[in-house]
Amino acid sequence: MKRRIASILLAGAMVASLTACGNSGGAGQNAGDGAKANELTVWCWDPAFNIYAMEEAAKVYQKDHPDFKLNVVETPWADVQTKLTTAATSKNLDTLPDILLMQDNAFQKNVISYPDAFKDLTGSGVDFSKFPKAKTAYSVVEGKNYGVPFDNGAAIAAYRTDVLKEAGFTDADFTDITWSKYQAMGKEILAKTGKPLLSCTAGESDLIMIMLQSAGGSLFDKDGNPSMVGNDKLKKVIETYVSLVKSGVLVEVNDWDQYVGTMTNSTVAGTINGCWIMASIQTAEDQSGNWAITNIPKLEGVGDATNYSNNGGSSWAVTAGSKNPELAADFLSKTFAGSVPFYETILPKSGALATYLPAADSKVYGEPQEFFGGKPVYAQITEFASKVPSNNTGVYYYEARDAVATAITHVVSGADIDSEIKTAEDTVKFAMGK
Amino acid sequence: MTKGKKFLAYAFLTVVSVISVFPLYWMMVAATNKSVDVSRGTLIFGTALFDNVKKLFASQNVATALGNSFKYSIIMTFISLLVCSIAGYGFEVFHDKAKDRVMSVILLAMMVPFAATMIPLYRMFSSARLLNSTLGFILPTISTPFLIMMFRQSARSFPSDIMEAARLDGLSEFQIFYRMFLPTMRSTYAAAMTITFMSAWNSYLWPKVIMSDANSITMPMLVANLTEGYVTDYGILMLAVLVCTIPTVIVFFLLQRSFAEGITGAVK
Repeated sequence: MKRRIASILLAGAMVASLTACGNSGGAGQNAGDGAKANELTVWCWDPAFNIYAMEEAAKVYQKDHPDFKLNVVETPWADVQTKLTTAATSKNLDTLPDILLMQDNAFQKNVISYPDAFKDLTGSGVDFSKFPKAKTAYSVVEGKNYGVPFDNGAAIAAYRTDVLKEAGFTDADFTDITWSKYQAMGKEILAKTGKPLLSCTAGESDLIMIMLQSAGGSLFDKDGNPSMVGNDKLKKVIETYVSLVKSGVLVEVNDWDQYVGTMTNSTVAGTINGCWIMASIQTAEDQSGNWAITNIPKLEGVGDATNYSNNGGSSWAVTAGSKNPELAADFLSKTFAGSVPFYETILPKSGALATYLPAADSKVYGEPQEFFGGKPVYAQITEFASKVPSNNTGVYYYEARDAVATAITHVVSGADIDSEIKTAEDTVKFAMGK
Repeated sequence: MTKGKKFLAYAFLTVVSVISVFPLYWMMVAATNKSVDVSRGTLIFGTALFDNVKKLFASQNVATALGNSFKYSIIMTFISLLVCSIAGYGFEVFHDKAKDRVMSVILLAMMVPFAATMIPLYRMFSSARLLNSTLGFILPTISTPFLIMMFRQSARSFPSDIMEAARLDGLSEFQIFYRMFLPTMRSTYAAAMTITFMSAWNSYLWPKVIMSDANSITMPMLVANLTEGYVTDYGILMLAVLVCTIPTVIVFFLLQRSFAEGITGAVK
């Protein structure tokens, strides 16, 4: 009998603790619940970069709005996407936060797929002309602006000046050049130092997309239809890539960690990527002073080719389910889209390079960077960003990138370019249900 | 076995064990090194452990994450064992045609991937206002077909004569379960406990979907946070993985013997 009473008591205690836990969640049911008129919730990732920037922005905004409160929930990008998809497809938009950070590559896809989930920021007080057009283009759907641009994905070419010197070159030799000149000099460097100029992850399309965008090319046309077959720019890009691999100037590695390893281990003489790669380069403190940044090589034989491109980057979106959409828009327009001092604060501490054009002229952006040979690389990159041609991403951008990556892998091992491009386009069309 | 064969066998086993132990060794090595040294491929213990610990605790709320992980896993394991063992016992001891059919349906549910039920579940939990709550966290996985099946299988080996005798002696059905079945099935419980604790501890997708509050972070979420960003600090990341692994390892080693017995279905 005693045992029975004991077990009943235990069960009771368990149920009680469970209900107690149920209530102690604290934040309430929805992200927006319990939100006061002066409070915003934000989902973003990376404490050293995005979260830090958000918190600094809150401090800036609090100067004029002392009651303002910002609640940042650290959420990796993959989870932002999962939660967004779940909330939007189950029509629970009020469970989303007021502001979320979105990868530029996925921006149009999400706005087109879930048109009710985001607030149109055109005419909300955000001055979009202060950002490069190619950057805002990622978050524009049907002429409406849905995102406030944040971190910069402008493509850079970074070189080891000590290795170049060994082969008799300087970083100036690599500025404003074409890919064939790049390859010729790369061969010489490889012969003299044994180091390839460039490494990239096999089976990834980052470098391909950088090259394509630099010539104003896209995988989709303006209406969102795949345009790979007959796309001269794409064909030229693939030819250039394959020729680089065959000459040994570009070495393919298996994954991201190995890619970073080629730089930190000094097995390559340079790299080409979004400017955020600088953060990884700088982890090798012993290489300080031996790196230089310049623009990327351009394609030949295609119209509109430039030495500028983009890879990655992200923008802030305001959700339609937000309880305080006006506050969210005002907050973004006064900080990320309106405060040079804000960008001056976050840059030195986090290297958070932005795309806000007025910030490029600031003194802080113009400061020489010891690691990169004492050059004012931040101002330089912000200038690069202003010259990048736009890219049409659309809903199926990721599928198209993957299809192109597969095509590249096959072409490198000897397959025919035209038929591989055809296969890639068919794959994307299949994904689109066409 | 001849000497040569023995040598071959040992050589093979040595290679296999090195392959399986190496990742663990590497995880520990990486946790004591600076990120740049990890990416340079170091294989010896470094001196950055203290730095990594400091940075990990400064950048992430490790105490909250550990506390939450323990809270959710323990509650989940306790309730799940109770529910599933009663269900498994019931399906076997009081079985008839209809219950067997219900059991097949439950087993069929094992084949449905979670991703397929996630959105409907989210809708249900949202309307029931269970988002951001412990109940919402544990409810979908309290009863799993696998555990029910496991308890049903072990109930099969529970002699029915004893039950008859117990009934004649005046024990109620609940008492038979509580006083006779439960103590004899200790090893099954231990195995089920290990499995449930581990899956609760490691669960990621569902918690991540329904928990939107920074205070409800769990260890796997914390590890995921560390991998996101332009620079991944491998030293700190591996330290976090190490911290995340230790509790499950302890649980496993504590229950190791019973776990093996329970899985093979031994009854003493």
